[in-house]
Amino acid sequence: MLALRLLWRNWRSGEVKLLAVALVLAVAVVSGIAIFADRLDTTLVQQSNAFLGADLIVSGTQPHRQAWSEEAENRGIEQTRVVEFSSMVFSGDELHLASIRAVAEGYPLRGYVETSHEAYSQQPPVRADSIPPAGEVWVDGRLLPLLNIELGDDIEVGEHTLTTTRILVRQPGESGFAMTGARVLMNLADLEQTQVVQPGSRIDYQWLVASDDSGNLAAFREWLQERLTDHDRIRDIDSSQRQLAQTLETGERFLLLAAVVGVLLAGVAIGLAARQFAARHVDQVALMKSLGAGAGRIRQLYAGQLLILATLASLVGLVLGEGIQRGVASSLQSFFNVALAAPAIYAYVLSFFSGLVCLMFFALPALWFLPQVPPLKILRRELAVNQTQLWIQVVLALAAIFLLVSLFSRQLGLSLSVMAALTGILVMSAGIGFVLLKFSRRLSTNAGSIWRLAVANLQRQRGQSLVQMVIFSIAIMLLLTLTAVRTSLIEDWRMQLPENAPNHFLVNIAPQNVEAVQSFLDQEGVDREPLYPMVLGRLTHINGEERDRSLGMNREANLTWTDTLGDDNEIQAGAWWDEWSSETGLPGVSVEEGLAEQLGLSVGTRLEFSLGGLPIEVEVASLRSLDWQSMNPNFFFIFEPGALDDFSATYITSAYLPNDKKPLINELLRAYPNILVIELDRVFEQIRSIVDQVSQGVQLVLWLTLLGGGLVLFAAVTSSIDGRKREAGLLRALGSPRRLVIGSIWAEFSILGFLAGLVGVIGAEILLWNLQYWVLDIPVRAHPTFWVLGPILGAVCVGTLGAISCRGVVTTPPAVVLREAG
Amino acid sequence: MSQAVVEARAVRKDVASAEGTLSILHEVSLSVSSGDSLAITGPSGSGKSTLLGILAGLDLPSSGEVILAGHKLTAMDEEGRAKVRADHVGFVFQSFQLLPGLTALENVMLPLELHGAGDARQKASDFLARVGLSERLSHYPQQLSGGEQQRVAIARAFASEPRVLFADEPTGNLDMHTGAHVIDLLFELNREQGTTLVLITHEERLALRCQRRVELVAGALAEPEAELSPAL
Ligand SMILES: Nc1ncnc2c1ncn2[C@@H]1O[C@H](COP(=O)(O)OP(=O)(O)OP(=O)(O)O)[C@@H](O)[C@H]1O
Ligand SMILES: [Mg+2]
Repeated sequence: MLALRLLWRNWRSGEVKLLAVALVLAVAVVSGIAIFADRLDTTLVQQSNAFLGADLIVSGTQPHRQAWSEEAENRGIEQTRVVEFSSMVFSGDELHLASIRAVAEGYPLRGYVETSHEAYSQQPPVRADSIPPAGEVWVDGRLLPLLNIELGDDIEVGEHTLTTTRILVRQPGESGFAMTGARVLMNLADLEQTQVVQPGSRIDYQWLVASDDSGNLAAFREWLQERLTDHDRIRDIDSSQRQLAQTLETGERFLLLAAVVGVLLAGVAIGLAARQFAARHVDQVALMKSLGAGAGRIRQLYAGQLLILATLASLVGLVLGEGIQRGVASSLQSFFNVALAAPAIYAYVLSFFSGLVCLMFFALPALWFLPQVPPLKILRRELAVNQTQLWIQVVLALAAIFLLVSLFSRQLGLSLSVMAALTGILVMSAGIGFVLLKFSRRLSTNAGSIWRLAVANLQRQRGQSLVQMVIFSIAIMLLLTLTAVRTSLIEDWRMQLPENAPNHFLVNIAPQNVEAVQSFLDQEGVDREPLYPMVLGRLTHINGEERDRSLGMNREANLTWTDTLGDDNEIQAGAWWDEWSSETGLPGVSVEEGLAEQLGLSVGTRLEFSLGGLPIEVEVASLRSLDWQSMNPNFFFIFEPGALDDFSATYITSAYLPNDKKPLINELLRAYPNILVIELDRVFEQIRSIVDQVSQGVQLVLWLTLLGGGLVLFAAVTSSIDGRKREAGLLRALGSPRRLVIGSIWAEFSILGFLAGLVGVIGAEILLWNLQYWVLDIPVRAHPTFWVLGPILGAVCVGTLGAISCRGVVTTPPAVVLREAG
Repeated sequence: MSQAVVEARAVRKDVASAEGTLSILHEVSLSVSSGDSLAITGPSGSGKSTLLGILAGLDLPSSGEVILAGHKLTAMDEEGRAKVRADHVGFVFQSFQLLPGLTALENVMLPLELHGAGDARQKASDFLARVGLSERLSHYPQQLSGGEQQRVAIARAFASEPRVLFADEPTGNLDMHTGAHVIDLLFELNREQGTTLVLITHEERLALRCQRRVELVAGALAEPEAELSPAL
């Protein structure tokens, strides 16, 4: 184990410390972020799946296959069943078409059923810890007045009598508008006796599955997907809670981006440390070669050292990362009072190997030439060593970055964005740096001696200066980008859920009650949307032909009419009623553009709908875009006023009800028991809390990466110190005052930092533009403050770091410096 | 005592420079017998170090042949020459070339470890004792004087028991007194181990102690193979 002994000696003499620190930090940052992000992700997905009641729901007109259950069982996946249907419920002479859910043990797999013992109670509802026992039902508060019963009375569902024992306040997986009847939750065991399930009855069979192991679930989903028939539909949070899903997705992408930035920063630090290590080891290699070690032996010895170093550093980094992750998680947990899910083991594995991968990609290019150091170097110190050509190193590093980013993000868009920005930085550095350095020669002749000396130094070592500038600017670019993305993401999320967005939907308002409901709401000063009429209808024909059902939109759609276009709707093609005239004499319809694209509709297309069996033919008058994220009632199809007059409609609206106005619902429902109120306020609260959690997580992760950025700056400065020490020592020996020596070093790094700040800002703008456009899907903005902050911060930070690192040079006697620096 | 252990035949060295090809060595031929000591002298820039590097297999001549311990270096690749160096060659340099991060003992151990010797530590401390540094095993080069550092370098060179020891101005950085001590050591070990010595020096005193002496002037041997009286 000569390699181990050599490593120990190199460690003792401080030659691998920077490399080791860079590696440890790389792994610590990466693992801290990766493990935390994994936990946050799992937690958030589980939380949001509480809306759904499961991680996945397979629904269809037939019960799911027995074989699927067995497979799920084998894979250790939780499962339960729900059967949903509309059916009449009776009590005495009263009857009502209720929305019934028959659930099996275990329901819901995510989230809770909330109940109370009093209709429209002001008391907070309690979480049920089981499903209704056989023989009992939990019912919607509004069913009581509808059937004229009290809690505890019996109701008949089909042929079976069941006792109402609790008020059903909320349950996961509510389907929204589709079913307007009062909700009834019963035990699946009772279903058979009700005899409502007959051949031909419309039943939705749902199979709920969930697993804490997301990998396991994904694999199962894949397995399942191949076996689904046309009758089965798979639902998850993405398909049922678009907005939340989007927030989670962007949040996840941000964390990913942060991890990638962390990796890159650490990578740059590692590369720099490796360069320094290589430079210091040229002599050692030459000596070992003169002692008879061949290139192969050298390679083996150094590979061995690096491997041991990487393994140890990765372990230490992992422990540190785990600590960081725990710290971040516990601060988040105490802040939001949520329990984060346990991390998946693969996050640790990935983090551990990231150290090796980083070393391989970032350190090897810098070290590659070491075994080729000619032994003659031992006799002729001035002999130029054939270092790996800079452009080869650059190409290798770029390839490495591309690979690493792709590996970590599995997103081509992200990788390409980073590449574009890096290329931009390289080109600009080569260009601007060159021009500025040239230009500054003239500039410096009438500057003070400190600046003259600094510029002369920069010019003499143009190559090294440019390399350093590129590195500084990459670090600055990455940090600026992350800061900007974080800010705009959080703003964006806040905007998606404004404080007083409508949080209640009122559905199924009878036409004769419209006036009364309107005036009731207005009297109470409730902030509401207009009341829209709504008719259920099925699209049957397009341009006279039976339509292709595989394109979707097979369920009944909510049809409406209005003469005023909603605020968040915008005509994209065709014209609104006031400027439209029919070509065919048919009434007009305005279609949401996404759906139009999906179904292949354009202005002028003829459509036929079936409304409760009655056909109506219309012509597409316009295509509309609309904001699905607004909480206003939104419709795929808006008809010309008058077109639907022959059909009986119910009305719908949405309103903002703050907590203190919630009792109004009770009053309203007592007066109009047919109205269905969908309460979204609790859901919103939860979404808001999730968004806050993501924002907070994002913030913490940003701090972690800043740490990485600091390390890069430090590494970049230290890596050039060896050479400068000698010069500074020489200057001191020749009698230059301390102030001049340190001042010129400070000036040199400040100029570098300033230029790097400038280039970094440009790089950040490129990267941000790409990211916002391609990856994060958020509006593109410019960042004027960056243009001021970037160069100034660059100059201050880099200048200070440089001056501090070189301080030792001027405090030690010149002779010592010269001897040490050889 | 007649078998040549180092032999150069018509060695030329040309290097490309900005002003065209620069010829550093012109057709140098020499041979050194086993156990002999050879001093190479000459003015600065005459090509002494270049010749030493070629003889020791650290560098290749532009033309000509070099044979070291029976191996034709000029016909081998770098790996092969490394093997020859490992088996037969030791070096002492003007600037000592000790690794600053290693203690005296570790510096001496390094070649032994590279050769995979099992008793590197024992052997290294024996040799350090031989050069009178048994008290300084765990000292770092910076903590040693120039003469002491060169003694460590000598211990390192002899520790692997080479057949030939090449030394480039081994006393160049030392004062007269210390230099004399180092020279004594070199010849003592040369005698004891039968090591062949090839050394470059500016010092008459050192050159005189060698059995043979050649002078390089502008890349050519001025007095080819001049015989000198054996030292002492
Ligand atoms: N690779 C090379 N490229 C260019 N010039 C070289 C090269 N190697 C040697 N020289 C030149 O060849 C000449 C001889 O160099 P060498 O080091 O052999 O001289 P030396 O006799 O050892 O001098 P000194 O006594 O000063 O050490 C010098 O002028 C040196 O600059
Ligand atoms: Mg020389």
